[in-house]
Amino acid sequence: MALQVYTASLLKEGLVAYLALDNGRPSWTTDIHLATVSNDDALETLKTAAEQSEQDNIVVAPYAIDVFQTENGIVAATKREQIRAAGPTIALPQDNIRESREAA
Amino acid sequence: MYQYSEQDHQLLLERVSQFRGQVARRLKGELSEEEFKHQRLRNGLYLQLHAYMLRVAIPYGLLSSEQMRTLAHIARKYDKGYGHFSTRQNIQYNWPKLEDVPDILDDLAKVEMHAIQTSGNCIRNTTSDPLAGVARDEIEDPRPYCELIRQWSTFHPEFNFLPRKFKIAVSGATQDRAAVAVHDIGLRLVKSKTSEEIGFEVYVGGGLGRTPMLGKVIRAFLPKQDMLTYLEAILRVYNMLGRRDNIYKARIKILVHETGEEKFRELVEAEWEKIKAGGLYLKEEDFNWVKGFFNDPEYDILPDQDADFENLMLSNADFARWVDKNIELHKQSGYRIVYLSLKTAHQPPGDVTADQMDAIADLADKYSLGHIRTTHRQNLVLSDVQLKDLPALWGELKALDLATPNYNHVTDIISCPGLDYCALATARSIPISQAITARFDDYDFINDLGDVSINISGCINACGHHHVANIGILGVNKKGTEVYQLTLGGSAREDAAIGKIIGPAFEADEIVDAVSEVLSVYLENREDPEETFLTAYRRLGPALFKERLYG
Ligand code: HEM
Ligand code: SF4
Repeated sequence: MALQVYTASLLKEGLVAYLALDNGRPSWTTDIHLATVSNDDALETLKTAAEQSEQDNIVVAPYAIDVFQTENGIVAATKREQIRAAGPTIALPQDNIRESREAA
Repeated sequence: MYQYSEQDHQLLLERVSQFRGQVARRLKGELSEEEFKHQRLRNGLYLQLHAYMLRVAIPYGLLSSEQMRTLAHIARKYDKGYGHFSTRQNIQYNWPKLEDVPDILDDLAKVEMHAIQTSGNCIRNTTSDPLAGVARDEIEDPRPYCELIRQWSTFHPEFNFLPRKFKIAVSGATQDRAAVAVHDIGLRLVKSKTSEEIGFEVYVGGGLGRTPMLGKVIRAFLPKQDMLTYLEAILRVYNMLGRRDNIYKARIKILVHETGEEKFRELVEAEWEKIKAGGLYLKEEDFNWVKGFFNDPEYDILPDQDADFENLMLSNADFARWVDKNIELHKQSGYRIVYLSLKTAHQPPGDVTADQMDAIADLADKYSLGHIRTTHRQNLVLSDVQLKDLPALWGELKALDLATPNYNHVTDIISCPGLDYCALATARSIPISQAITARFDDYDFINDLGDVSINISGCINACGHHHVANIGILGVNKKGTEVYQLTLGGSAREDAAIGKIIGPAFEADEIVDAVSEVLSVYLENREDPEETFLTAYRRLGPALFKERLYG
């Protein structure tokens, strides 16, 4: 059965976030490993909570994504969602890179 | 450079304060995302894969050192310390917080900058030749015309809700460095065939995206006085007849294509008849006024040679390479145009850090009359450097990692942000550009290959201009795997052409080899080292390349 989590963008920061339910209380985390995983049956509960958060102006545009449970935690199924979860796959430009390059 | 009037300033401040109110209401929940989205897009603010993205307009690619310092300040204070110069000569910030955006816009407004009309279905920032005003092959400086277009198109009430986005480019030189053929409207300043008069050749209906098309010349010669009335007529026809039912058919290129060039021309001319004598007709005083902002600086009278420069050319191979690749002649004796390469192995194409921006601003003040230009190939230009200063400037640029000698060469790659940043992407583009750069890092090889362009887009929207590269790469998603299509034979210059897909796509770990094979076929078959990749490809046709790639 497909496992899913709910994801969205945080309204204030725009950052990627995942829905975690703690005894039914919703919170949003930027760490996919802390997301609440659901199978098809329980997805409705997540959906309701996500939509409520959208109405409460905590997140923008929530949607469900497929994930796998692995030894290393939750992994998104698609490349796109893996990149959303982990950030750009390239080194971000940094001013100190130059110094370290010269030092090397 | 154009200087804002009091009224311009006022308008901008009002706009920022209006947006500040909208952001506050959104954060309090008084505006829904649906309602707010429209407002934020009007102010260049997108919601991307990882965060908000703010696109700041750089009118026809012209920046003062003070503006560059502000861009650095914004990168440092509100973002992650860098910005991305795009193929439309603008800059994008990848990580601003919504609540900070009004402050960013305030900082921008202080230096006469903004993010208005950098998104949405309106007339976007007009782009131009980064060598405007200094190029040797210039017929006339395009910047005054760009500025007139900027003023006409900014807040134009009638064209605020076009069927789709609208992009205009203006070139004033024989060589096209502004890709006029792939814009909704391209204007080229040309000399009349029958007199000394200079006017415009008008291209309409060019564009990239999923249906790439070259613009059609709908008027071979337009007197300059008629520039705005004619643009207005084109926009009116488009606004009335452009398709609003299908986003993929909404650009003017589709309208021109579906209406037919001849009929479209008739429609424009008919509309033009009604307004050509109206208020937008440009008079001598209009030109004089706007040209006053773009007068030549007071150049020193200098010889076109310098002993120290020539000695270093002989004694230092690195310097000689840089001069050979990244320096262009200037119309003024004793001056040179310098390309700052934003294409290194260490940073994505077009990315510049805050410290680099500050340093570039300082270099512009020290060596180039305080101005910087952005190019549509995602590099920067210092336009007025004295020949005798080149050795010192080179030393400083090298320390900043901005002196890779590769302008218009194989590692001068255009790349859109792709799946590393973009919500619409189907594949990553930056890692491919980095892999290609890593593979072809040998100067002698790069030099031997000569003039060649590689452009990469992360989806069919083609922000990375892959259709008009000699070697274009388009990333697509094939059943969950990123694969890359190769197109060959495109050009964005005066011999503009749309490249053709050569065959089935390659996987990420095959694409660099494929590019390498394509380059080998060229090297093995060129008539002599003077024959460029594009000329050779046009002579040879695709067969040899296809055979090497697919057997
Ligand atoms: C937030 C990221 C971006 C989004 C959502 C976006 C969206 C789009 C879309 C949807 C199109 C296709 C338009 C059409 O065919 O009607 C397009 C075209 C284009 N974009 Fe972007 N883009 C983004 C970033 C960029 C960047 C970073 C650049 C410059 C490097 C850029 C420059 C262009 C250019 C040159 C075109 C093709 C010219 C044309 O309009 O036909 N865009 N973009
Ligand atoms: S081409 Fe596609 S992936 Fe690249 S920036 Fe444009 S929309 Fe994004």
